[in-house]
Amino acid sequence: MEITEYITMLGNPLTVLILLPITGALLLMLVHWLGNDERREMLANPIRYTNLGIALLMFVLATFIGLEEKFGLAWGEYLYQNCEIGAVSTGSCTLISSIGVSWHVGIDALSFPMVWLTTLLIPISMVVEWDAKKGAYFHSLILMMEGALIGVFVSLDLFVFYVFWELTLIPMFFLILMWGGEDRRYAAQKFFIYTFAASVFMLAGILVMYFNNDASWVGNITGKSFDFVLMDTSTNFIEAEGLRSIVFLLMLIGFATKMPSVPVHTWLPDAHVQAPTAGSMLLAGVMLKMGAYGFLRLGVTLFPDQVIEFQTLLIVLGMVSLVYGAVVCLGQVNLKRMVAYSSVSHMGLIFLGVATLQPLGIAGAIFMMFAHGIISPLLFAVCGSFKHHYHTLEIDSMRGLAHHSPWMSAHMMVGWMGSLGLPLMAGFVAEVAILIAFYMAFGWWVLLPAVTLIVTATYYLWSMQRTIFEGGGEAQLPPTMHDEEPRDITWHENTGMLILGVLAVIYGIYPDFFGMFEMMSDWATLLVENAIYPPEVNP
Amino acid sequence: MGEHSKSEWNLLLPVGLMIFFPVIRHLLEFDAMESAFLIVAVPLVIFPAILILGQLSKGEDWWKNQLKEGGIVALAGLAITLSLTVWLIIEFYMGNEKLSQFEDDAGVLSQGVIFDWIQFEIFDGATLLGTSTLSFGLWIDSVSLVVLFVAAFLCFLICWFAIGYMNTDPINEDRNHRFFAEFVLFSMGMFGMVLADSFLWLFIFWEIMGLCSYLLIGFYWEKPSAAAAAKKAFLTTRVGDVFLMVGLFMLYDLYHSLEFAVIFGDPTLGGAVHGVDLQWPLFFMFIGCVGKSAQFPLHVWLPDAMEGPTPVSALIHAATMVNAGLYLVARMFPLFSEPHFEGDLSDLAMLIAWIGGITACMAAFIAFVANDIKRVLAYSTMSQLAYIFTGLGAACWFANEGYHHLATVAFGASLFHLFNHAMAKGMLFMASGSVIHEMHHAHDHAHGHDDGDHHDFDPQDMRNMGGLASKMPVTSIAMMLGSMSIIGIPLIGGFWSKEGIVGQAWNVYAHGGEMILFPAILVLATAGMTGFYMSRMWFMTFAGKPKSDVVEHVHEDTQWIKTPLVVLSIVTAFSGFILACGNFVHWLAEPYHYEPFGELLAHPIDAILHELEHAFLPEENLLKIVGWTAILLSAGLGPFIAARMHGGRLADGEEATPLTNWLISYSGSVGHTDVGDLATGGFATALHNRLYIDDAYEWVISRTIMPLATICAWIDKNWVDGAIKGIESGSQSTSTWLRQFTTGRASDYLLMATVGMLVIVGILWGVA
Repeated sequence: MEITEYITMLGNPLTVLILLPITGALLLMLVHWLGNDERREMLANPIRYTNLGIALLMFVLATFIGLEEKFGLAWGEYLYQNCEIGAVSTGSCTLISSIGVSWHVGIDALSFPMVWLTTLLIPISMVVEWDAKKGAYFHSLILMMEGALIGVFVSLDLFVFYVFWELTLIPMFFLILMWGGEDRRYAAQKFFIYTFAASVFMLAGILVMYFNNDASWVGNITGKSFDFVLMDTSTNFIEAEGLRSIVFLLMLIGFATKMPSVPVHTWLPDAHVQAPTAGSMLLAGVMLKMGAYGFLRLGVTLFPDQVIEFQTLLIVLGMVSLVYGAVVCLGQVNLKRMVAYSSVSHMGLIFLGVATLQPLGIAGAIFMMFAHGIISPLLFAVCGSFKHHYHTLEIDSMRGLAHHSPWMSAHMMVGWMGSLGLPLMAGFVAEVAILIAFYMAFGWWVLLPAVTLIVTATYYLWSMQRTIFEGGGEAQLPPTMHDEEPRDITWHENTGMLILGVLAVIYGIYPDFFGMFEMMSDWATLLVENAIYPPEVNP
Repeated sequence: MGEHSKSEWNLLLPVGLMIFFPVIRHLLEFDAMESAFLIVAVPLVIFPAILILGQLSKGEDWWKNQLKEGGIVALAGLAITLSLTVWLIIEFYMGNEKLSQFEDDAGVLSQGVIFDWIQFEIFDGATLLGTSTLSFGLWIDSVSLVVLFVAAFLCFLICWFAIGYMNTDPINEDRNHRFFAEFVLFSMGMFGMVLADSFLWLFIFWEIMGLCSYLLIGFYWEKPSAAAAAKKAFLTTRVGDVFLMVGLFMLYDLYHSLEFAVIFGDPTLGGAVHGVDLQWPLFFMFIGCVGKSAQFPLHVWLPDAMEGPTPVSALIHAATMVNAGLYLVARMFPLFSEPHFEGDLSDLAMLIAWIGGITACMAAFIAFVANDIKRVLAYSTMSQLAYIFTGLGAACWFANEGYHHLATVAFGASLFHLFNHAMAKGMLFMASGSVIHEMHHAHDHAHGHDDGDHHDFDPQDMRNMGGLASKMPVTSIAMMLGSMSIIGIPLIGGFWSKEGIVGQAWNVYAHGGEMILFPAILVLATAGMTGFYMSRMWFMTFAGKPKSDVVEHVHEDTQWIKTPLVVLSIVTAFSGFILACGNFVHWLAEPYHYEPFGELLAHPIDAILHELEHAFLPEENLLKIVGWTAILLSAGLGPFIAARMHGGRLADGEEATPLTNWLISYSGSVGHTDVGDLATGGFATALHNRLYIDDAYEWVISRTIMPLATICAWIDKNWVDGAIKGIESGSQSTSTWLRQFTTGRASDYLLMATVGMLVIVGILWGVA
């Protein structure tokens, strides 16, 4: 092992994206932890600003990577040359040579939107919850999570991928446990154990894949490798078809829980309701996308035949999540719980989009990940500020929010409208793309998701009617206010929500902004052309 | 306020200057087509501008008095769109030769792609079919020009009216900027929908209008009824919209495109598309039209939408949203007239006519008993739109059965009715707004602002009015002309188009479409009913003795309200006649075959005589009988009964203007019938309850989906999550073990996590 190899890797922009926030966060926490009370007091603000500074730097860095890829190279060509589904591999070095673990990172049109989204949401969520108690730890944990999340999205070595996958749980666990609501202990444990248990299935799948991924020429002890690109470039690297199906199902369990899909979704509402605002913004905005990302990266890309084989299963999962999730939303009395279930409902569309096996449907599914990643943090930011200012989340507890908190009401309306799929907002693009493809693939079944859109509109509009409207000239305040003077949101909450709202509109009017839909569509086309219907099958 | 309003003309200076906007564009050597996108872009920019400026500077003098809380900005923007529209019409009309290079033979201007929205590849199984692009561009033909002009013209006048209506009411203070911003966005939606060159973008703007209607109907959000009405409007139209969306998916699947150029260019797609394939997509799209244009059975939102401020009612029910559904049906027309599909789509055409006939009659019945002046107009809107649907159904049937010429006539008549109805109804709503506004102020004046009985008095209830003709001369004349146009009094406004629609509906029957008999009878009967309820409204409001003391204090006030009424009175009174003689009907359907006004300018007398003969003495006996029956019912019987029931002379000493006085004297001379018994009958109660349709919907929803939602939420909590909880409690040992580590101190956890990670890394490093 050459030491220079590591130094080169450390200079790799993707490595920087992972290690900078993690080391930065650890150092800042250490500095804070070591100090005495007086020094902590003094350092509180500088640490806060440093965290935000690093987060913004990360955003700039990710944007530069995007610009370079967008204007320096044509995504499609570059992807195609590299490997079948086109992970743009930007470098690797050996990490644990004895068992074939390497530090292999790369970015392509599937992971870039997620990386960019993560770097975008982290500073926004920091700004929204700027006043958090023990901010030095709070913001550092968020920053640490950023590194772990990006690690998930860019690692091409499954061992490292799994490590980062679990690493994301730790900051989130602490965010819920220490800054959560009344029932935070239960929620944090449930969140941790539930998703951890599910990822054990995924780990089992990864291990099977590892032992079938022959890399004897490298000459390590096992003669196997965790390298994803290696798995991807060899056709059907697991030879037994039955085994492939088993692995696919194992992966599906792990990812469906993370997404989450009915029936393994119940950790989500509890975690969301108890999580602090920034925590639920990131949970809904990025962590759910890990499931969808993993499914596309490891499920669909490596096992395209199994996608065809289990097409019906995917449709059933997606459809049940979509319809059942929406109906359950209608029955909720808690604002945040309703929004959480709406995430379940929207994530169902991703399975439907993938099941179409049309580039349009798959691109729509990826765009849904992105659009939901912009809109749902807005929803949770609104819920969070509602809780913060009115000390309740009961939908029926108040009337006439617009009277006291016009800005909060405005953001609520923008978010709700975006989430119910109003045209010229990002969610609509994804919905239309998925449903067109769905009709082309499955015909009249499209009526089911389409009718669900009415249910979606109903629960959103109904909740708005009962919170921000009505109430006469004087708003009825919830009893939890205890005669407190109601206020509008603070300027930093406002800033964060405004950015998200504007982005939702920009991506609705022009989905190709920053090349997003275009690259997703290219990626989906390559996937369909080369993986799902590989050339030798395609005459 | 009186002396104040005189000095406000100078505020219109910036608005007037905007008329030169097209001139400047022209001098910069752009043509009208290249400027057309500004019709959408200008309101799109003005919307946030008003919102932000209003939020920042509300309450400041210049904003409140000079810019009328954004009203002047909105009006200036709408002046730009109106002048661009007129420029477009002039260029379309004058420059047929010059522009022919852009045209295909269907008389269309289209300005290719403005921007690509999304682009993707389509596969059929493993076969790559090609790249598909969903892009935005402009498409202008005679149909879109008419609807665009109606929208731009009325939006401008309604905005003008709104400045007078909204800004004089203290309740709106400091939030009018929201009204004007949403107003402008709404107009943008309508303009965009009309100009879009694909069904997809038509749908996108269509939904934007849905959003704005939600916002505007719920403008008084603090009123529970307004909040509920807004929700109802959005959700009811959403039901239609979702089906429209499904229809679009089906259409996309057939054509692999949603652009008009592709679909109308070759509706058969080289023989690959058959008429039967189109039945379902067009059916689903029609459901969307039913929702948007408030037809049975998705009509329930429209009467409730009267909760919005009156200018909103005028905007939604005359100028924009309800016309959207008609416009979409008109857009489907080329598919019906494709010879290849002959006979395949005639059932759908019948369905359109049936929905129209049923709604026309039902709405007219409910309007019989409505006492709220705006609700009468709301039901009248439903009824008149239903006429247009019947006409379009007849047109589609003719087209699909191969009667090309008759289809042209019916299609033209329908769109002509859209024009006439929009002008008249826009004016009627504004006139009713004028009445409500003055009643409201008179009540405040008479009883003081805060005497507590504010809520008992309904300024919209016609039972509080009566004898207003002498107090509000301009409004009473405007309302009379508008009602005449809607009723179809010969020679005025809607007469020409309504005769055409009723006649053509019967003509379908004569040509073998037996199924149309029912709607044809209904629309004929509705002609008489229209005569009754519109006259009833006018007589109850303007004739007879005052029915409350408030009327004493009513007087017409600001020019902001009067000017649009005067303009529209003139338009309503004469435009029908002029356009009818100018061969407007044929031009609408086939702009490339007919030159509008050519004949009228060359031989005016001949043209007028020809048109009169055509209207009153058509060659076919059936048309003659039907036409005269309609005239007798609508202009004779209906108003006569209304006059007997609700008419009467003014109080002593009051004098109406000569233009309306004859009508009041007539109503006073036909005697009086007491209608107390009728109004309490069982049928009247049913009508008061809107035939229980709303109740039935609510009953069904509250007994199906709402319990289901509650049950699902319960199941999710107790069964789905309960199963997980069961596993949890089963693994006691795990949780006990875990509990040791949850000390609750962050530093402990962090320490553990860090140490754990280091240990793992260390072990692995050692192995390596």
